[in-house]
Amino acid sequence: MSTVQPLDLAAGASGTALPGRRRRFRGLPYGLLLPAVAVIIVALGYPLVRQVWLSFHEFGLKQQFGQPAEWVGLANYVELATDPYLWEVLGRSVLFCLVNAAVTLGLGLFIALVMQAMSAGVRIATQAALLLAWAMPVLAVLTVWQWMFDTTYGVVNWALTALGGDFSGHSWLIEPLSFFGIATLIIVWMSVPFVAFTVYAGLTQVSTDAIEAAMLDGAGTLARVRHIMLPAIKPVLAVVGLLQIVWDLRVFTQIYVLQRAGGTASDTNLLGTYVYRLGIGEGSFGMAAAVAMFLLAVTIVLTSPYLVTMFRQED
Amino acid sequence: MKIRTGLGLAVAGALALSACGQPAATTAPVPGATTTPAASAAAPANIRVWLNGTDTPQEARDFLKKTFEAQNAGSTLTIEEQQWTGLVDKLTTALSSDSQTPDVVEVGNTQAATFTTVGAFADVTADLAGWGGDDLLPGFVAAGSVDGKTFAVPYYAGSKAVFYRKDLFEKAGLTIPTTMAEFVDTAIKLKAANPDKTKNFSGFWFPGKDWRNAVAFIWDAGGDLATNTGGAWAGALSASGSQAGLATVQKLFTEASAAPKDGDEADTWTPFCEGQAGMISAPGWVRGLILSEENGCPDMEKNLGVFALPGSDGSSAPVLLGGSNIAVAAKSPNQELARKAVTIMLSTEYQTILAKAGLTPAKVSLASLLGDDESAKATIAAASNARLTPAAAGWASVEGAMILEDFMVNVAKGGDIAALAAEVDAKITDKLK
Amino acid sequence: MKPSLPARILANAVGVVVILAAGFPVYWMVNTSFLPTRAIRASEPTWVPFGGSLDNYVRLVQAGDFTQALWVSLQVAVATVAIALVFAFLAALAVARFRFLGRKFFIVVILLIQMIPAEGLFISQYKLLEGIHLLNTVAGLTLVYVATVLPFTIWTLRGFVAGIPAELEESALVDGAGSVRAFFAITLPLLAPGLVATGVFGFIQAWNEFTLALVVMNSEAMHTLPVWLHSFTNTNRGTDWGAVMAGSTLMALPVIIFFMIVQGRMASGMVSGAVKG
Repeated sequence: MSTVQPLDLAAGASGTALPGRRRRFRGLPYGLLLPAVAVIIVALGYPLVRQVWLSFHEFGLKQQFGQPAEWVGLANYVELATDPYLWEVLGRSVLFCLVNAAVTLGLGLFIALVMQAMSAGVRIATQAALLLAWAMPVLAVLTVWQWMFDTTYGVVNWALTALGGDFSGHSWLIEPLSFFGIATLIIVWMSVPFVAFTVYAGLTQVSTDAIEAAMLDGAGTLARVRHIMLPAIKPVLAVVGLLQIVWDLRVFTQIYVLQRAGGTASDTNLLGTYVYRLGIGEGSFGMAAAVAMFLLAVTIVLTSPYLVTMFRQED
Repeated sequence: MKIRTGLGLAVAGALALSACGQPAATTAPVPGATTTPAASAAAPANIRVWLNGTDTPQEARDFLKKTFEAQNAGSTLTIEEQQWTGLVDKLTTALSSDSQTPDVVEVGNTQAATFTTVGAFADVTADLAGWGGDDLLPGFVAAGSVDGKTFAVPYYAGSKAVFYRKDLFEKAGLTIPTTMAEFVDTAIKLKAANPDKTKNFSGFWFPGKDWRNAVAFIWDAGGDLATNTGGAWAGALSASGSQAGLATVQKLFTEASAAPKDGDEADTWTPFCEGQAGMISAPGWVRGLILSEENGCPDMEKNLGVFALPGSDGSSAPVLLGGSNIAVAAKSPNQELARKAVTIMLSTEYQTILAKAGLTPAKVSLASLLGDDESAKATIAAASNARLTPAAAGWASVEGAMILEDFMVNVAKGGDIAALAAEVDAKITDKLK
Repeated sequence: MKPSLPARILANAVGVVVILAAGFPVYWMVNTSFLPTRAIRASEPTWVPFGGSLDNYVRLVQAGDFTQALWVSLQVAVATVAIALVFAFLAALAVARFRFLGRKFFIVVILLIQMIPAEGLFISQYKLLEGIHLLNTVAGLTLVYVATVLPFTIWTLRGFVAGIPAELEESALVDGAGSVRAFFAITLPLLAPGLVATGVFGFIQAWNEFTLALVVMNSEAMHTLPVWLHSFTNTNRGTDWGAVMAGSTLMALPVIIFFMIVQGRMASGMVSGAVKG
């Protein structure tokens, strides 16, 4: 949805192309791209290509230490596709991802909308709190949340017991549903600040004229939100939503740490931890690469609507 | 005058720069098989030794460095501190790199087996005799050997003993159990009695993921985690001995312990200090933690007792032997010097320092160095019958996938042990094939 | 358009809830950093660290290595941000202002790269750095971090650049400035919010990354902060929780300071880029 016509080198004169300058610009875009492309190719190119190569080979720890790797074609992928456990993990991951993304977006949007109506002091304090949450190092975040829900010494159990419930010694991680509930709580807590800030900034840019006109026409708060604000920030929501889906599908650290703290690993694996356990836990690097490629494919499928729209827009 | 100062500065600068940089990569990497020709033995070099965590006391580290540098003029020894978590990542990358490989590494038992079978370590079979031969803890040597050749040797061992609350035992009228059956009985009675009326009290603190303690009961009953029949490894938890042991384990989980059913054994001293555990099974160094000002409860000292877990036949139960191994990296360019460092680490003087710090020495004959207080007696008794995890090449995968942790949690939840065992045996066999 | 009083009261109530929810774990982290380890894992939680002390902090800083790790982390993070911003800005210019063969392909590839899980890549990246002799150096680690944040940065900056009217540059060009100078003199300042937004993102990535730093930075002198902090959580003898929390607080401080300074510009920055994306 760009408001600017890019300088059209290939097709000749267009509205904004400047006369007499075309020739000189021909190599310029490539030159501008060069540094970024060079870094990406050097630092990511080889690893990514190797990743793809690995997925077609039998590559374990032995091969890491010098044994030749055997080409197995699609064998890794076939083994993946016929492994019922992988599909279980996939289903869980997609569901988890969609729930998290939806909750994060919903909460972030809600907070952003409400922030508009707060008194200045409260709003600044809210923004500061969200900022602190965003800036806290991941290790600290996970440790604190673990402690809060610790079975024996957690403050949550302590508080709930003090309020009269029988939660002493209650394990929050032992049942998968509860486990994922806690995981969602943590991930949403970590992701909402980003969404809230972005959407809030988007809202501040919504034209006040349109809103006042709507108010003059008698539109209530809800109507204003629904018909003026939401459409105006749809692009923002789309971008943020896309990112949430990409990130939540790949989620690894939070799940991995929680698995060490409690619950059963096989019931709580998502694609992120599954890739890791295959790769490092078992030294099956070839298989782990295949799962990573698989994860990439799933992500593309899940975000295809946005991809298609964006691709078309680029014309 | 000016020139000399300038030259001096330049030399100093060059030395400083070279000291900061990487150790110079040598030309031909040494293949993992035999010791190198005499040429590299003479060349002085900097030997890098990787030690993990805080087990090795500072006195031992100083001794190692001093002795090595005295014996090998011109060479230096640097100890690089590593952490256990993330160690496998570092070993996987560094040991397979010609330029980055350390010379000597400390690894856990499972890692010793894994990296041995993939050829990451140098063959030290020829050096075994000089290092102690049969005196080296046999289980560890087995873990580091494949096809009759040895690639990793024991460094120190540690096994678990049972720490108990003398005062609670007294109040409940219990005595130190001498057989396994008595132990189970004592634990259950203690929980029921709960002399101090503490909330969530456990007679025996037994978290659900703790397969490392559970395996002692399985072995005691004649079972095992996995067995090798005719060259093929398979899960063995469905065998009758294992089932009997698992029944004991489940009994303890459900009747003697109030520990979280999905908890792990990482922190046993906090419940002990909070008064929630009548007995805990923990490695010897936990004693130090319990008595420390920082982490523990020094006031508990007079109530702290220790005994070795008793087996069904009255001697010590076969507990899981923990500890570390040392190995020389196959790609290290300093094969001779690396072996000299290992020699020092296995020497009587060095091992004595370790023993004084509560670590069981790598040589059987040195066990007496541990002393003869209650703690040492318990450790020695426990170690006498201790065993290692199955020496299967793929055992690390079993641990990496947390198969046994998941299994134990389900047992702790009260599931049907026969059905659960059948399921987990299939998973284990699959990983080990 | 002032909201009505009841609306404001409700909104403020929601605000208080958010402050508590977002702030409590942070408060818990700081609170714990003043307590001795025994009080941290105990049946009775300690709400306010009366009688707590700076012991944990003292121990941390005294253990040595903290200032060294801080210095390394700063170098890597600042270098990552600086280089990534420059390269991404140039690339964003190219993609947003010019039409050329391969443009669409480039944009799609940039998006796809962001979707690849990173967990398996570190071994290949290690081999790569080894091959070009950049292991255990700030340069090596920075190179990989820059490549990791470039896709997101390019993608976001592209939107910002596209949102700046080309007429501004054109008038500069007509006035005789070279095209490159026009870009720098006109577009760049208007991009400030966007640069700040992506800069903060890149800073956090580089500041908190662990696994690659663990395997690439071999010598103790080159440890980054996350690797340094990790060494307190993994002694065989029980985790030093007080030190971990104190260390985490110390690690969070530079990020928070950085954030506070740029927060205003960042908010407006993120949205312009998003709207045009």
